[in-house]
Amino acid sequence: MKRRLGAVALAAALALSACSNNPYPDADDSRAIFYTFFDDPPKTLDPQIAYSVVDHSVIGNVYDTLLQYHYLKRPYTLMPGLLEEIPHPEKQADGRVAYTLRLRPDLRFHEDPCFELSTPGSRTREVTAADVAFAFARIGDPAVGSPVLETLVKISGLREFGEKLAKRRTDDASFAALRIDRQYAAIGGITGVRVTSPHELRLVLDEPYPQIRFWLAMPFTSPVPWEAVATYDGREGRDLFAEHPVGTGPFRLMRYDKRSRIVMEADPSWYGARHPGAPGTVYPSEGAREDAERGYLDASRVGKPLPFLQRIEYWREKEDMPAFTKFLQGYYDLSGIPKENFDRIVLEGGLSPAMAEKGMGLAKAVAADISYLGFNMDDPVVGAPAGERGRKLRQAMSLVTNADEFKRLFLNGRGIAAQSPIPPGIFGYDPDYRNPFRKVDPAHAAALLAEAGYPGGIDAKTGEPLRLNFDTPATDTRSLLVFQFWVDAWRRLGIDVQIAATSYNQFQDKIRRGAFQVFQFGWIADYPDPENFLFLLWSGMARTKNGGPNTANFQDPRYDALFDLMKARDDDPERLRLIGEMRAILERDCPWIPIIHSEGYALYQPWVAPPKPVGMAFPVDKYRYVDPTLRTKLRAAWNRPIRWPAYALAIATVAVVLPGIATWRRERS
Amino acid sequence: MLAYLVRRLAWAVVTVLGVLLFLFVLFFMLATPDDIARKAVGEKAPQAVLDQWKANHGYDKPRVWNPESPGDTMLVEHFRRMLTFDFGNSDADDTPIGARLWSGAGPSLAFTVPLFVSGLVLGISLSLFIAFFRETYIDRAGTVIAVLAMSVSTLLYIVGVQFVLGKLLRWFPISGFDSSPEVMIRFLALPVIVGLMSGIGGDLRFYRTVFVEESSRDYVRTARAKGCSEGRIMGRHVLRNSLIPILTGVVMQIPFLFAGSLLLESFFGIPGLGSITVDAINANDFATLRVVVYIDSLLFIVGMIATDVSYTLADPRVRLG
Repeated sequence: MKRRLGAVALAAALALSACSNNPYPDADDSRAIFYTFFDDPPKTLDPQIAYSVVDHSVIGNVYDTLLQYHYLKRPYTLMPGLLEEIPHPEKQADGRVAYTLRLRPDLRFHEDPCFELSTPGSRTREVTAADVAFAFARIGDPAVGSPVLETLVKISGLREFGEKLAKRRTDDASFAALRIDRQYAAIGGITGVRVTSPHELRLVLDEPYPQIRFWLAMPFTSPVPWEAVATYDGREGRDLFAEHPVGTGPFRLMRYDKRSRIVMEADPSWYGARHPGAPGTVYPSEGAREDAERGYLDASRVGKPLPFLQRIEYWREKEDMPAFTKFLQGYYDLSGIPKENFDRIVLEGGLSPAMAEKGMGLAKAVAADISYLGFNMDDPVVGAPAGERGRKLRQAMSLVTNADEFKRLFLNGRGIAAQSPIPPGIFGYDPDYRNPFRKVDPAHAAALLAEAGYPGGIDAKTGEPLRLNFDTPATDTRSLLVFQFWVDAWRRLGIDVQIAATSYNQFQDKIRRGAFQVFQFGWIADYPDPENFLFLLWSGMARTKNGGPNTANFQDPRYDALFDLMKARDDDPERLRLIGEMRAILERDCPWIPIIHSEGYALYQPWVAPPKPVGMAFPVDKYRYVDPTLRTKLRAAWNRPIRWPAYALAIATVAVVLPGIATWRRERS
Repeated sequence: MLAYLVRRLAWAVVTVLGVLLFLFVLFFMLATPDDIARKAVGEKAPQAVLDQWKANHGYDKPRVWNPESPGDTMLVEHFRRMLTFDFGNSDADDTPIGARLWSGAGPSLAFTVPLFVSGLVLGISLSLFIAFFRETYIDRAGTVIAVLAMSVSTLLYIVGVQFVLGKLLRWFPISGFDSSPEVMIRFLALPVIVGLMSGIGGDLRFYRTVFVEESSRDYVRTARAKGCSEGRIMGRHVLRNSLIPILTGVVMQIPFLFAGSLLLESFFGIPGLGSITVDAINANDFATLRVVVYIDSLLFIVGMIATDVSYTLADPRVRLG
C-alpha cells in the first residue's frame, strides 16, 4: 500500500514538473511564426464575395491583388501587384473608358490537386488574363452573390452577362449542369472584359470611373483558377471553394479550422521568391516622413526579400480576457487592448511603465472611417421640407453633441472628433478645418432653436413641445447608453427625443419607407478616396429613392454637380477646391452630425518589429518580422511555473484527512 | 418492457413532430427570411444580392401554403430536411451543417467524456468517503465545502481557474485546443478542472444524502452485525443499492456529452458543439440553430428512455410496463 502511494505521489510530481502554460509545440520555438488571434471566424474565403476584415486577413495573404498599396507611404499610394503597371484610362470615341491590364509573366497559382482537371498530373499552372476575366465573370454571376456587383456594373456588359446567365440556367437545365467556365464561355463572356493575349486584358467602362483602380487593389478582382471553382463545390465530401482558396499570394493556407485555428505557410514558389525585386516583393526603402524615427525603415529589413515569416497562426479566442492574458504571457505577438485593461496599459496616450519595462510597443492608427448622427432629410420636421426651420434645428442639435466627451466616456479617449465626412489619410482631409457647428455651444444652439421657431423646445406656432424619434436597430446596453448620451444633450436644449429601438428588420423597413428622423450610422472606407465618403450624401445613392447608402436622403443639385466633377478627377488642387465647396454645403445644411474617426491601439511584443498601422483592410503580414530567439528567451523568463502551491495543497489535504481517519478508527475500535 | 418501449417511442415521434412545428414557428414565423438574409449577406450588399441569397437557400418559397405546388413550401422543406437528417447548409457561411456538427462532436467529447467520467468517479468516491465518516468533522466540513462550491457561478470558476492555474502559477495553457492527444491533455486540463469544480458540490450533496440514507437501512445493520467490514459495506452494498437515484441523473447526462458546453467551450477555445451553437447564435445562423435545438431534443428523448431502461438493469425488481 505504501509503495502504491509512493508511486502515485511520484507520478503526480512528474506530471506537475511537466506542467507548462505554453500552448505551442517546443519545436516551433525557433521558427519565424507570427501568432495572433481572431474572434468571429471568416464568413468566406471566396475572393469575389469576401468583404469583412477577418475574411481579408486570410485571403489577403493567399491571393495577390492586381494592384497593391505601398506599405509605408501616406496618403495611401497604389503600386503594381500582379500587373506590370498601374493601368491608365483611355477615353473612347463613344464616351466609354478603357483600361489595359498587363499581367506579369511567370505568375503561378499555389500547388493544388484541382489543376488535374485541366492538365492531368499537374499541380499548378501559369496565371493568365483569362483567370482575371474569370474573376470578373464571377462578380457578374448572380449565383455567386458578389456584394460589389452593383458598384462594378459600370463595366460594359457586366449586368447583361449576369442576366443572360441566369436566364439560360433557368431555361436550360443542361446548360446549368455545364462546368462553370463552359457556362461563362457559352454566354460569350462580358463585353467589357476582353482577353487580348495570354497576359493582357482590356477592361471597358461605360463611364469614367477612376476609382476602378482601387477595386483592382482588392481581392474581388484577384485572378481565380476555374479549376478550383469547378472542383471545390462542396459535394460528395469535396471542400467548398469558399473554404479552399487557391491563389497566388505569399502564403498558402495549410489549415482552415475556422472554429479553432487558421494556419498559413510561406509559399516557396511565390512569384516574389522567384523574382526578387519586383514591386511588393522586398521591404520598402522609402515611406512617410516620420517612418525612419518610428523604426519602420530599419536597415535590417529594408530591401530584404519578403515575406519574413515562415508561418502565420491565427488562434480562435472568443473571449477578450484569455486572449489578452496569453498575449501578456508572450504567446501572441499582437493584441488590441480590452476596455477593462485600458487604464492599466495606457497612460496619457503612451504605454504604462509596467508594459514599457517588458519592452512592449504601442501602435496607434486612426481608421479611414466615420461615425455620424444623421437626419432624414425627407422628414417634414428635421429635413429639407422644413426649409430654414429644419436647417437651424439640425445646426442647433449639432452644437450640443459633444464628440470629445463621447470619446472620453465610451472610447477611452481614442479617436479624432470628426468635422466632415472625410477621415485622416484620405485626400481632402484638412486637419485645420473646423466645422462651426461641431463645437459645443449651448447658447448658440438655444438661439438657433428659437430662430427655428422652437424656443426652449416648444413649437411657437402650436405651443406643443418638439418631439423627435431616434431610430436604431441596436438594443444592446452599450449602444443604448451611447444613444442616451446624445438624447440627454438634446433634452438639455429642450428637445424631447425618444429612442425607438426596434429589430433590425423593422428598422430597415422604417428606413426604406423614410419613416424615421434621427439615426446613428458609420462607414468604413472601401478604398482611400474621398469619393467613397462623399458619395454617401450624393442624391444618386439616396436610400428612399434608389436604395443606396445615402440614408440621410440628402439631395442638393449643387452638391451633386460638384460630386460628379470631383469623382472623375485625379488628386489635384482643383479636386481639393471641389471638396472644400462640397464640405461647405454639408456644413451649412447639416444633414449629418459627424462624430468620430475611430482610432485603434495595438500592443506588440518586444520581438516583433514595429508594425506600421494601416487603418485600412489591406494585407501587411508579408512585411511583419519576428525574432524567435528573443521570443523564446523572454517567454521562458515570463512563464516559469510556480509549483510549491501544489505540494502545499497535497500536504494540507493529508494533514486534514489523516487525523480524521485516525479519530474515526479510534472511535470505531 | 418491449410494449413500454414501443409506447415510449410512439410518444417520442409525437414529441419530435411537436418540436419541429415549434421550431418552424420560432424560426420562420417570428423571424422573416429578410432578417436572416440581411445578416448573412451583410449591410452593404444590395437588394439583388439579398434576393439571390434567399433563392439559393430556399427562403424565397411561400412559408406555409403554396396553392400552385402545395409541397413546395418552407414548412414542408423544414420537416423533410429534419426528418431525413439532410440538414442543408449554414445560413452564415454555406458550409454543410451535418459535417460541421459531426466535426464538433469530437472536440466536445474529448472534453465532456473525461469530465463526465472523472466527475462521476470523484463525486461518488468523495461522497462515499464523506458518508463513511458521517457525523465527523470531515462530514461537516465536506458538506459546508459542497454548499459553498454549489453557490459559486461557473463563470467565476472559469475566471478564477484561468487566473490562478493559467496566469499566476503557469501550470496550463489558458485556452486553446489541439486534436493530437499529447497536446490535447494540456489544453483540456483547465476546462476539466473547472467542470469538476462547478459540478462537484451538487454531486457531493446529492450522493452523500443517498449514501447516508442507504447506510441507515436494516440490511446495512445486519451486514455490520455479521462482521462485514465498513469498506465492504460501503463499496459493495451501499453503493450498489444507491444506484437507482444516481442513475436518474447520470444516464440522462450521457447523450448530452455530444452537445458539449456553451460556456466552457467558449472560454477555453474548444471548437465543439457548444462553441458551434454560440457561433450560430452570434451569427444569426438560424439554419444551424434549428438543427442544434432539434438534435438536443432528440438527445433528451434518448436520455429519458435510456434512464428508464437503466433502472431495470440496475434493479431487477423494477418492471417497465
